[in-house]
Amino acid sequence: MNAIALPRKFPAAPAALIALAPPLAMVSLWLLATGTQWVPEQLLVPPGKVIEAAAELLESGELQEHLRKSLGRLGLGFFAGAGLGLVFGVLMGLYQSVEDYCAPFFNGFRQVPSIAFIPMLILIFGIEETFKIVIVAKAAFFPVALASYDSIKGLPRQYFEVAKVYRCPLWPLVKHIVIPATVPHLLTGLRLSLSRSWMVLVAAELMAADSGIGQMMEWGRQMFRMDIVVVGVIVTGSIGFALDRGFKSLESRLVRWKAR
Amino acid sequence: MALLTPVDEKPGRPRFLLPRRLKGWVLPLALLLVWEVLSRRSHAYALAFVPLEQIAASLLEVLRSGELFNNLLASLGTASSGLLIGGTLGLSLGSLMGLSRLADRLVGPVFHTVRQVPLLGWIPLIGLWFGNGSLAKTLVVCLASFYPMVLNTYEGLRNVEKNHLEVAQVLAASRWQTYRHILIPSALPFIFTGIFHALAFSWISTIGSELLFTAGPGLGSLMQTAQMAARMDIVIVCVASIGVTGLLMNVSFTRFSRRLLRWRPTR
Amino acid sequence: MSNLIHPDFNRSAKSASGELGIQALSKQYPLEGKSLKVLDNINLDILPGEFVSIVGPSGCGKSTILRLVVGLDADYQGRIVLDGKPITSTSTDRGIVFQDHRLFPWMTVEDNIGFALINTTLQPAEKHDIVARNIARVNLTGFEKAYPHQLSGGMAQRAAIARALVNEPKILLLDEPLGALDALTRLYLQAELQRIWIEHRSTMIMVTHDVEEALFLGDRVVVMQSNPGRVKRVVDVPLEHPRDRASPVFHRLKDEILADLIGGGAEGHAAQAEAYRRPRAEAGAGR
Repeated sequence: MNAIALPRKFPAAPAALIALAPPLAMVSLWLLATGTQWVPEQLLVPPGKVIEAAAELLESGELQEHLRKSLGRLGLGFFAGAGLGLVFGVLMGLYQSVEDYCAPFFNGFRQVPSIAFIPMLILIFGIEETFKIVIVAKAAFFPVALASYDSIKGLPRQYFEVAKVYRCPLWPLVKHIVIPATVPHLLTGLRLSLSRSWMVLVAAELMAADSGIGQMMEWGRQMFRMDIVVVGVIVTGSIGFALDRGFKSLESRLVRWKAR
Repeated sequence: MALLTPVDEKPGRPRFLLPRRLKGWVLPLALLLVWEVLSRRSHAYALAFVPLEQIAASLLEVLRSGELFNNLLASLGTASSGLLIGGTLGLSLGSLMGLSRLADRLVGPVFHTVRQVPLLGWIPLIGLWFGNGSLAKTLVVCLASFYPMVLNTYEGLRNVEKNHLEVAQVLAASRWQTYRHILIPSALPFIFTGIFHALAFSWISTIGSELLFTAGPGLGSLMQTAQMAARMDIVIVCVASIGVTGLLMNVSFTRFSRRLLRWRPTR
Repeated sequence: MSNLIHPDFNRSAKSASGELGIQALSKQYPLEGKSLKVLDNINLDILPGEFVSIVGPSGCGKSTILRLVVGLDADYQGRIVLDGKPITSTSTDRGIVFQDHRLFPWMTVEDNIGFALINTTLQPAEKHDIVARNIARVNLTGFEKAYPHQLSGGMAQRAAIARALVNEPKILLLDEPLGALDALTRLYLQAELQRIWIEHRSTMIMVTHDVEEALFLGDRVVVMQSNPGRVKRVVDVPLEHPRDRASPVFHRLKDEILADLIGGGAEGHAAQAEAYRRPRAEAGAGR
């Protein structure tokens, strides 16, 4: 669904330029609103100040430090959660008995949003690193498990029958049939889970942490430094966007054979 | 059915047969057992892994005092008002963009840009502008339900089959008749998917906003207070309530939409 | 090109309306800078109450003709005249049955059929009667409240036919109506279509790729060729209704038309048979 259609009057205008127009327009609006004091500074922090704050944070190295911490937690938690989710999902998809034992609990657990687990995990793990990594792992686990389960279940019987006719042993079967057939759906699941985990992490850091982007925002808020908060918001959004886009390009590269 | 049979499935070997429905209980029961064991391990552990009977006792207490009910009601109130407002706005904008090419061209790019800003990013701004109370929370929920409704409504209206529109043309139906009898029913399944997602997001964002905006009642706030007072038992009661409520909303809506959309071909 | 009148024709014609004149009809599509001629100077005169079949290879534009006649497309050169008046756009005067039934999935059979009456000024009770009558006409009584996904292909197509008939159009167009159905259902529906036409007696124009079907139902068969779409010839079918598939005239006509379509004609067939009968020794020595 592409809501941006090239107007026929400007056939040479590249799509990228047109796509940039709305964000640029909005930033200009932002500049205008704060510049003319139409919106007072207390309510909307001017872009100039945000840039200053960002520069300040970059210089002092604080921003990098917070980013490093947050991304580190994301990486660890995501690998743990996604890895476990993958194993679980595949097992549940392949073996009916595993599904019988695990599915009800799995589905029940899924109903509770990840952020709702934050207080509970704080009580168990305190506000140290473990808690954040666990919450990210939880957020990453379910979408990936679901995606891998679905992709296995979606494997047509026919593929296995063909393999059987040609008497294909297990490892080549997995390598040449199962993996290519399941990878597309799986990649989408991984991508969604990554975005979600990032958001959950920042939310957790907002609530209880001693470092990290979320904590930086909370600290800014408490000190009434809205410019710092906005820097945090922009960084959070940009990283989420970058992760999403990066994954999408990975998907399209790995799944070139799929008709799009 | 399983694609692979378990490797150890040899005939003649005695199998521990449990009916399928009971198998699902094994894992939760085992976990409860582990929990109970952990709670007895030491006093420190008992603070985190609260004994099951204490959880049960707290559940009764919180039910009797009406605390659970009141907070649940408050959360549901926030969720439903946010869903109603955000959902209706989303439906309207999605319909506008779906039906009018002009609106799509004008509003579309702006919408998609704003959509990129994560919900979490709006929270500090909303907190600054609207304070910490129920208005702020409702606004967050509105936003959360808004996006999926717009997207799905738009998709539904844009994906009307050309074949059906031709039939309307051949039967000389007016524009309004085409909208009413063809466009809208055709888009309804998509719209219902949108409502389904909006429903889920509204519940999640309600809890989230209650955790982040500390003023006012709600399951999230109750949970937060309990956590600060190190009352794990109440935290667990809240977590369970959140899960159960979410599940009920999910299930009842699915059932409702299945009834309404019973004309859909069952695969 | 003669205007054959069916033996029983004048006696049972219900109305004198439904006379279609297609004059110098041409249409082209722009394709990569050039224009692709889809129809080239089509001329047809169709009498009221006639059943005309149109056969031809893919790409000969036969479906395009129907779309132009029904008014879904207004971009063409030439004239299309119905009962003396040139057509402008769609109207309930002209009904069409598509290859895919195009019933609305969210409406029951009777709602689908009733939808065709949406712009009439009839009372609900009258509408209900008309719908019921047409459902009976296609032998779907009992399935009024069924949804399309509950119907078989043949039943859905019958419902589509009922929907097209409910307005008593002057002309009914059928665009490969039985193409998506299995062979047995097709035979059954051909008989049904014949029965409906005999009872209803409105002008019908059917596009099909099945020559036997064309001959079974049509008073005249228009044979088209492709690249560009032109009328190759028009075959009169001087057989009475209901048709007998086993009649020798039927078979002769079928062979003629097939020969026309497959190309090479009878001579091509003979040459092929000759080549096969050539002495083996000759073929063997060639190796």
